[in-house]
Amino acid sequence: MSSVHLAFSSDRRPVSALREGTRGVVVEVRAHAEGRTDRLLALGVTPGASIIVLQTFPGIVLLCDQTELAIERQVADAIFVRSQESRS
Amino acid sequence: MSCHVVHERQAERPRTLTLRAHPLRVALVGQPNVGKSVVFGRLTGRYVTVSNYPGTTVAITKGRALVGAEVCDLIDTPGVNALEGTISEDERITRDVLQSADADVVVQVADARNLRRALMLTGQVAAFAKPMVLVLNMIDEAFARGISIDVAALEAELQIPIVEMVAVEGRGLPELRDALARAARPHVPAHPSASDRAVWAHHLTERVRRVSTLSLAYVQEALARATRRPVTGLPILAVVLYALYLFVGVFGAQTLVKLLEDGVFGGYVNPASVWLADRFIPVPFIRDFLVGQYGLITMGLTYSIAIVLPVVATFFLIFGFLEDSGYIPRLAIFCDRIFRAMGLNGKAVLPMVLGLGCDTMATMTTRILGTPKERLIAILLLALGIPCSAQLATIMGILGGISFTALATLFAVVLGQMFIVGWLAARVLQGERSDFILELPPIRWPRLGNLLTKTRLRVWWYLGEAVPLFLVGTALLFVLDRIGALVWISAAGRPVVTGLLGLPASTSQILVMGFLRRDYGAAGLFQLAHSGQLSGVQAVVALTVMTLFVPCVANFLMMVRERGLKTGLVILGVITPVAIFTGAGLNYVLRAFGVQF
Repeated sequence: MSSVHLAFSSDRRPVSALREGTRGVVVEVRAHAEGRTDRLLALGVTPGASIIVLQTFPGIVLLCDQTELAIERQVADAIFVRSQESRS
Repeated sequence: MSCHVVHERQAERPRTLTLRAHPLRVALVGQPNVGKSVVFGRLTGRYVTVSNYPGTTVAITKGRALVGAEVCDLIDTPGVNALEGTISEDERITRDVLQSADADVVVQVADARNLRRALMLTGQVAAFAKPMVLVLNMIDEAFARGISIDVAALEAELQIPIVEMVAVEGRGLPELRDALARAARPHVPAHPSASDRAVWAHHLTERVRRVSTLSLAYVQEALARATRRPVTGLPILAVVLYALYLFVGVFGAQTLVKLLEDGVFGGYVNPASVWLADRFIPVPFIRDFLVGQYGLITMGLTYSIAIVLPVVATFFLIFGFLEDSGYIPRLAIFCDRIFRAMGLNGKAVLPMVLGLGCDTMATMTTRILGTPKERLIAILLLALGIPCSAQLATIMGILGGISFTALATLFAVVLGQMFIVGWLAARVLQGERSDFILELPPIRWPRLGNLLTKTRLRVWWYLGEAVPLFLVGTALLFVLDRIGALVWISAAGRPVVTGLLGLPASTSQILVMGFLRRDYGAAGLFQLAHSGQLSGVQAVVALTVMTLFVPCVANFLMMVRERGLKTGLVILGVITPVAIFTGAGLNYVLRAFGVQF
C-alpha cells in the first residue's frame, strides 16, 4: 500500500477541497484521536475505495463504493484522495 | 486453542439427528438498514418495526421459527458497522450477543449492493468462531443498479453457505432455512488490523463483483439527489411539512375529531351511556364516576378516543411513510450546523423526528448517538420540547382552530427554548460531541403492507399505553374532585397559573394532569378551549407550558432506565421551571404587545 501512497502523493487532496462531481480514490484517512478513522473504516472509507463527491453544501455528501455518506467538513479534511476531475 | 476444540466437537456431532438441550439459537447480525428485521419477521412471523433508516432496531428481539423439523430461537440484533474499535451503545449490544453463549449460529444479513462493507463485517464476525451463513439481501436492488455477484466464487472463497434474497418478498427464505443446517465457520485469513481486513475485503469484492455503469434506478436516484440539495431539498421539506399539517392538523385534528367528538361521542355514545346510567345505576356516586363531569366514559374515553386517537392514527400513517421512504436521514444534512451549536450533530435529527411519534421510544433511540454527552443532551431536548403525536394532536386541534400565527408562535417559542437549553447544556456538560458521519439510505417507495402493519401496531400500542392512563387520570381527577382537593389545587396553583401565566384558575388541575401525561392535560385544554373558556393568548401560553413539560410518566421512567435516577431527576428539575418561566415570559410579552390571535 505504501508504494501506491507515494506514487500519487503529488496530487493527493483532502475531500473538503474537492469540487462537486470529482471522482477519486482514497489514499489515506488521517488518524484522529476519537475513533474517527474506525468509524470511516467501518463505513468503507478506506485506502483503495473509490469515491465521488456528490454535494458540498450545506454538508459534504459523497458516494463511497455504493454507500452514500453525509459528513462534516472537519471529517472531510481528514480524508485524502487521489482525484480525477470529472469530465462530464 | 479453544476455537480448535469447538471445531472438533462440532465435527463429532451427527449432522442429521440433532438432539439439543435447547433449540438452536440463531443470531441475525449485519450492517444497519440491511433488512435483518424483515428476515426475522419472515422467519418467526413476529413483526419487528421495519423502516428505511439505520438504527430502527436498538434492542434485541427474540422469536421462534420452524426450520425443517426443528425449532430455532432467532435473535434480531441492532445493526452494526463494526464490532471492534470505537463502537456505539447499540453496536455493543450486538457484540455481547455474539460473545455470549446465546448464539449457536450467526446469520449475517448484508445489503447486496454493499458487498465490500459486508465482507469487512464478515471478517469481524469470523473472529467469534461461530458457524455462519451469509445472506445477500436486496439482490433485486443491486441488480437494478447494475451490480452482479459471483456467488459460487464467493462461497468457495469463504467456505460458508451464501443465500441470495429479497426478504420483503420472501424470496430466498426456503434457501436460508436449508442453508442453516450447512452453516460453517468462515474461512477468513487472520488480519492483524482493521485496515488489513479492509484491503482483504476490497480485493475479494473486486474478484467476485461486477458493477456496470448502467443503472435502472434513476427515478430513486433523482429523488435522492433532489431531497439532499438545498435548492430542491428545502422546498420539498416545506411541502412535506405542509402535507403533514393538512393530513394531521386539518383532516385528523379537525375533520375526524369533529366526527368522533361531536358526532359519535357527543351524539351517540355519551347520551346513550348517560341514559343507561340514569336508568340502571341507582347510586349517584357510581353514575358520576362513569358519566359525570369527570366520568370514565364522558371524559376519559372521550379524550382518548375522540380527541387524541384520530390525530395519532393519521400521524402514524404519514410518519411511517416518511420513515420507509428514507427521507428522514436526509434532513440531517440541513440540521447539522444548528445541532452542532447544541453539542450534537446532524445525526440527532433521527431521535428528534422520532420523538414526534413517541418521546419514550425516541429516548431509547438516542443509543445511536456517539457520545454520552450527546445522548444526554438529546434526551433532555426530547423531554423538553418535542411534542409527541398524541400531544401534537391536541396542539393542532386547539391552535389550528384559532389561527396559523398561534401555531407558529408556539413552535417558534418551543424551538427557541430548545435551542437555548441545548446551547447551554452543550457548554455546561462535560464531554465531546462526535463527528457527523451519517449513512444516507436509498430513497424507496414505501411498501403498503409494512406501512399498514406498522401503523396498526402503533395505534394498538397507543390504545394499550395511553388509554389506561387516561382512565386512571380521570379516576384520579374524580376522586380529587370528590374530596375537595381540586378546589384546593386550583387555589394553591393560583399565584402561578392565574398570576404568572394569566390563565383561568381551572387550568391548574389540567396542568397537574399534564404531569401524568402531557397529552392528557392538553386534551383538557382542548375541551376548555372548545367551550370558549380560553382566549387565543391563553391557549398559546397554556399549550407552550404543557409542551415544555416532561411528556409523561413512561418517558420519565425511560430516562431513568437509560441514564439513571439521578439524571432523570435533574432533567425533571431543569425542565419544570423552564416550562413555567417560559410560559410566564410569553404571557408577559404577548400581553405587553397586545397580541390577539
